[in-house]
Amino acid sequence: MTAILRLSGPITLWLAGFCAVYGLHGLLCSSRWGALVAPGTGRALLIVAALAAVAAQGALLAALRRPHRGGDDPVIRKATLILAATALVASIWTLLPVAVTSHCL
Amino acid sequence: MTALRRHRALTRVWASDPGWRGWCTTVSHTDLGRMFLTVAVFFFVTGGILAMLIRAQLASPRSAFVGPDVYNQLFTMHGVLMMFLFAIPLFEGLAIYLLPKMLGTRDLAFPRLTAYGFWCYVFGGAMMIFSLLAGIAPDSGWFMYPPLSSTLGAPGINSDFWLIGITFVEISAISAAVELTVTVLRYRAPGMTLSNMPIFAWYVLVTAVMILTGFPPLILGSVLLELERAFGMPFFQVAQGGDALLWQHLFWLFGHPEVYIIFLPAAGAISTILPVMARTRLMGYGWIVAASVSLGVLSFGLWVHHMFTTGIPHMGLAFFSAASTLVAVPTAVQIFAWIGTLWRGRPRLHLPMLWILAFFATFVIGGLTGVMVAVVPFDWQAHDTYFIVAHLHYVLVGGFVFPMLAALYYWMPHFIGRKPYFKLGTTAFWLIFTGFHGTFLLLHVAGLLGMRRRIDTFEAGQGWEVINIIASVMSFVMAIGFALVLIDVILNAVIAVRGSRNPWRAGTLDWAMPTPAAAYNFASLPHVTSREPLWDDPSLPAALARGEGYLGDPARQRRETLTVEPATGAPRYIVVFPANTAFPMGMAAITGLFFLGLLTKIYWLVPLAAAGVVACALRWAWTLGTRRPEGALPVGRGVSLPTASEVADPPGWWGSLFLLVADGTFYGSLLFGYAFLWTIAPNWPPPAYAEPGIWLAALAAAGAIFAPLGQRLNVPAGVGASVLGLLALGIAAAGVLRLAPDPTRHAYDATLWVLMGYGLLHLAVALLMTLFLAARRRAGFVSALAGGEARIVRLWVDYGTLVTVVSGLAAGLPGVLGSLSVGGAP
Repeated sequence: MTAILRLSGPITLWLAGFCAVYGLHGLLCSSRWGALVAPGTGRALLIVAALAAVAAQGALLAALRRPHRGGDDPVIRKATLILAATALVASIWTLLPVAVTSHCL
Repeated sequence: MTALRRHRALTRVWASDPGWRGWCTTVSHTDLGRMFLTVAVFFFVTGGILAMLIRAQLASPRSAFVGPDVYNQLFTMHGVLMMFLFAIPLFEGLAIYLLPKMLGTRDLAFPRLTAYGFWCYVFGGAMMIFSLLAGIAPDSGWFMYPPLSSTLGAPGINSDFWLIGITFVEISAISAAVELTVTVLRYRAPGMTLSNMPIFAWYVLVTAVMILTGFPPLILGSVLLELERAFGMPFFQVAQGGDALLWQHLFWLFGHPEVYIIFLPAAGAISTILPVMARTRLMGYGWIVAASVSLGVLSFGLWVHHMFTTGIPHMGLAFFSAASTLVAVPTAVQIFAWIGTLWRGRPRLHLPMLWILAFFATFVIGGLTGVMVAVVPFDWQAHDTYFIVAHLHYVLVGGFVFPMLAALYYWMPHFIGRKPYFKLGTTAFWLIFTGFHGTFLLLHVAGLLGMRRRIDTFEAGQGWEVINIIASVMSFVMAIGFALVLIDVILNAVIAVRGSRNPWRAGTLDWAMPTPAAAYNFASLPHVTSREPLWDDPSLPAALARGEGYLGDPARQRRETLTVEPATGAPRYIVVFPANTAFPMGMAAITGLFFLGLLTKIYWLVPLAAAGVVACALRWAWTLGTRRPEGALPVGRGVSLPTASEVADPPGWWGSLFLLVADGTFYGSLLFGYAFLWTIAPNWPPPAYAEPGIWLAALAAAGAIFAPLGQRLNVPAGVGASVLGLLALGIAAAGVLRLAPDPTRHAYDATLWVLMGYGLLHLAVALLMTLFLAARRRAGFVSALAGGEARIVRLWVDYGTLVTVVSGLAAGLPGVLGSLSVGGAP
């Protein structure tokens, strides 16, 4: 099962990070919770969250590049690394809007 | 023993009952796969007839062929039948039929569950067809947006048919997904590593996990909307703290992955058929595995692109626009791998290949228009127009129906054991292909000219007349093509000459058997060391028939197969399958009574049927395993293995694990819904928040410690401790419910009832399982004493404890924050 978990882990982490940042955006832009943060800090929080998601993705890719103790099937290892790189690119691409689009408009 | 005598001995053990009784009592994946496929085709034909009625209505302006009430039912049921009762069950049927054969095993992980799922599908589908014939079919669109579908917009029983009927049918999808997942991971031929699995198995695995995580949000939405309609719990009523947008989120959390749940099996069929047609190996196996996994997961991050016009802030739109464009990349990787395979091979233009080429032409257009609607400004213009209708048909027909027709013609010799005769099929191909593009290509333009979806008629002079008459005429051409396919299949099944084994010279194990397949699939199970065992060893089928593989000796006179380690394919233990029984059909019928009681509001029937289902489930589980330890048994090739009753991770544990994945997704969706309403819905806060208080918290904490701990104490008192812990948790949960006595007052109260009700239901299941295990131990069942069943019960007790505690915290959190004046509390 660890092979399956390693294979599906990176892209699942992307989904978790993506949803977390979207959820944070929803909170920050809601009339109920947005008032809890100081004016102007919303975007900064989003950028920090996005950077953290990208960093986590990069760290996972680096960890998966190291040889696995149990020894990996070469095909599965290749697919795992493709997925980890894809997830890193996906994180950067899908979270880029935190820096370039209007915030709560 | 000769191959013939072995065949006869195995057939005596594995054969289904003869005659009509066999239909009701079969648990064979071959029979049930065929039955699934047949019923799915019936629903396809029914949905197709509805499509013809739709096109007849829209052929000319101001048509009076049907009125708006009937038209609403027609387009709603067309979508419902095609999406829920045709596409998903057809995938299930194909996977159920093929998967064990491709993996080199004798059946799916849980044969009785296959049968139960099939009968739930049949009974639920019959419910939907009845509504159609009675003129009370759902009429709010296949996506059932409230308030159109709530009692405000649809006071009749129509919407209830959708909510209850589809939920009933989804039992079938979840059942199939659980067993397909477990089968791919554990029920393979010995030696078959993950990277030696046939590519179709990878697609099935990804799709099955997607069903486990994609369908629960829809089931939750259906439960909430039905609770609102039947009991006035206002989840989607803005005036009482609900929000109609919550439905859209829940629906599209399911709805977008659903598109890929439909496409990925079709892609799996293409990845299997195309290399055989091209007479070469699949190019980029690892890349395709990665692409299918990434498509599966990426598709869960796209749901909001169906909601671009609901007023979501620009940044939210940009997130989902970016994710939507991204998904084109893994799709393109697969298409380039297929093109590369064709380039490398020597393609033969047989009928399956023709359908694959039709898929390429059609699906690529659908994919490109998909990228267009992923761009927000374009989507704002095209949303809810015929451009979207055309796009989705290009994706779904091009991406699913055409590959499934390729699959039909590729595996037809396997299904019927006859030599294919394709003349009529080729005519049908050209009729369908030209009919499809004639129908839908110009409808893109109609959409760009402003023709809205779901209108029952239109006025002349808007530039839509010519397009619509062409679309209607060509849709009938397409329908004639599909009718020819049906006739072709029947003719092939009845009059074609007997065919030879492996007519395509394929390399996968599904062709390593006589066709039609024997009840036991393989006389002995192969040892697999490559992805195309038949290409590497053409004599393998004969060797298996001679019993030179595993489990070739039928001396034990019972249905046996092997499980393997998920990654390495090393053989692990023997599984003994159940014999033929009508029990799953009976249990599905009782499950149907539960849903029927809800639908007709005969509420006394509901608890009775629920008790019946529980009694059936207990009986089902009681018949598993033996009371006599067998130790390690010889399985052939010098290997001895224990049976599943004597191991710590029996198939039931794996099944429970993946069922809990679906269950956990349901619960996660519920928590999301709660957070969504709390954050977004107008008319919050409610008049009062529940404040559970210190005594309820203490009781819950004690229960949360004793319930799981008792399961881990290997002494008789452990059962008592666990039971007391579960009861304490239950009392605490009921205590929280008393703090919100009226669930119709506000969406908060209604949500709290569902949260705590969910916890109570799982505590009841955990309690029942704990007592059941104690009874099994007392009766001396080996599996109960060996620890495998205890692990299953522990899983459920831990889960029930966790969700009850989290529900309690979620219920009490607003009150705590309110006392701190945080989050808009009163």
